[in-house]
Amino acid sequence: MLFADPLFGLPSWVDAIIRVVIVVMVMTIVVVYLTVGERWVVARFQQRLGPRKTGPGGILQGFADALKLVTKEDIRPTNADRWVFELAPYATFIPVLMTLMVLPFAKDWGVRNLALGLFYVFAILGLNIVGIMMAGLGSGNKYALLGGVRAAAQMISYEIPLVISLLCVVMITGADMGGGVGTLNLNVIAALQEDRPYIVLQPLAFLIFFTAMLSELHRAPFDIPVAESEIVGGYFVEYSGIRWSMFQLTEYASMWGFSVFGSVVFLGGWAWPFGVDAHWTVQLGTTLVKSLAFIIAIMWMRVTVPRLRIDQLMNFSWKVLLELSFVQLIVNGFILLYGWPQELLALTSGIGAVVLIALIIRHSTAKASKGLVGTYRTLGSTPQ
Amino acid sequence: MATEVLWWIFAAAIVGASAGVVFSRSVLHAAIFLIGSMAGVGAMYVFLTVEFLALVQFLIYGGAVTVLILLALMLTRRDAAGRPEPVNGPQLPFALLLGISLVTILVAVALDTAWGDSGEGPANIAIETISERMFTGFGVPFVLSSVLLLVALIGAIILARQEEGE
Repeated sequence: MLFADPLFGLPSWVDAIIRVVIVVMVMTIVVVYLTVGERWVVARFQQRLGPRKTGPGGILQGFADALKLVTKEDIRPTNADRWVFELAPYATFIPVLMTLMVLPFAKDWGVRNLALGLFYVFAILGLNIVGIMMAGLGSGNKYALLGGVRAAAQMISYEIPLVISLLCVVMITGADMGGGVGTLNLNVIAALQEDRPYIVLQPLAFLIFFTAMLSELHRAPFDIPVAESEIVGGYFVEYSGIRWSMFQLTEYASMWGFSVFGSVVFLGGWAWPFGVDAHWTVQLGTTLVKSLAFIIAIMWMRVTVPRLRIDQLMNFSWKVLLELSFVQLIVNGFILLYGWPQELLALTSGIGAVVLIALIIRHSTAKASKGLVGTYRTLGSTPQ
Repeated sequence: MATEVLWWIFAAAIVGASAGVVFSRSVLHAAIFLIGSMAGVGAMYVFLTVEFLALVQFLIYGGAVTVLILLALMLTRRDAAGRPEPVNGPQLPFALLLGISLVTILVAVALDTAWGDSGEGPANIAIETISERMFTGFGVPFVLSSVLLLVALIGAIILARQEEGE
């Protein structure tokens, strides 16, 4: 359950506390730079400069923002349910913090190396919804309630394709370990990808994972629960000051956590392409570069794709992603059961990925004939 | 020793949260206390070193069942602000009867059991063992329960579906 040896031969609980403190400090720095980094990336995409004034090139902007947030007044509406309202930010943040405890950042670098690491991540992340619903119900605000309902419906729906796409990878670890018994240990999953990352074998599962991840993170185009222009911020509309910044911290920390998690499961984590015996600085650098690539892809999606409607979102999850992930699981099962070569996995999953992308492109370029947009189009074309 | 102290802390937390479910004046607070109680039971599984069951407890009871309750509360309550509301209705005597009989049965069983002390700590059960038992030893019940869940799912969809012109 533990990593090979506690740091400096200390008792295991002291070792655990040291590791937790290190991870929390790194997380804080990463979150501070993600908030300002997102503004830089979005500015670049929109041909602006972004924040450049605080410190050389704007590198102190994140700290200035953090200082501003903690000194702002913390307002609680009289209509709010006091304890539910005040505890909601913590209930949202703690599950995210707990998932960071099992992520391997390099070989034997992490807080704890659980045998059930992958299962742990999505079991604990499921508790995240509770905090969001507490915020939605406790604020005493209709917008917050709407945001909470939307968040819950969306996160529950997308959890299923997310878990199935991860199971597809776990099935392949069974073939890699020999004997058909797979592993849920994130460290072992990363080490098994020394020669090729699993994204090569499972591009469809990766696409499903990435989409479901965007939805779990409430990032655009799935930011329906927090849509500013519809429900002015969703479940955290009533929060201000330090509690609002707790929600921001949760959002960016879970974005980073999901990025590291996705890079471990699909991109080879610390093991690919430099091997399991590379120096720890190289392995740590590999993980950071991969998670950064993930984060930039998430931001890229945000500035490229407009927000979906809630019915489009639900249809996409239940009518497209769920079926494709089941098909992927069944095809994997046949190939692995009969011991067919792994190239076949890459081929079938690649075909599935192409089908998914073609489906998305076809839908996004099709002209609407129904709904609001379709009505406007037909109105314009009919002679007056 | 440290484990024992932690065990008592968690046991007290579970009892406290469960009391909160029963005595809180608002359904919303009761639901949140229920989550705490369920999570505490999950932590108990960790003390018994069955980590898989602990995670299943978190996933199913912490993440799914209580979220379902919260979602139902969100969609059905007239007053969204979470102010206290009457929680006791005509079901009070029946609930009392059921609760008292359940307590009686549990206490009787606990007193009647000869609690042996084997002197060994609990052993960790590997997930491979669990899956082997589930898919080979209990394959048919597993498939049957999946079919039951599927039927329930389809039934729920048919009940909730709005027919044309309804």
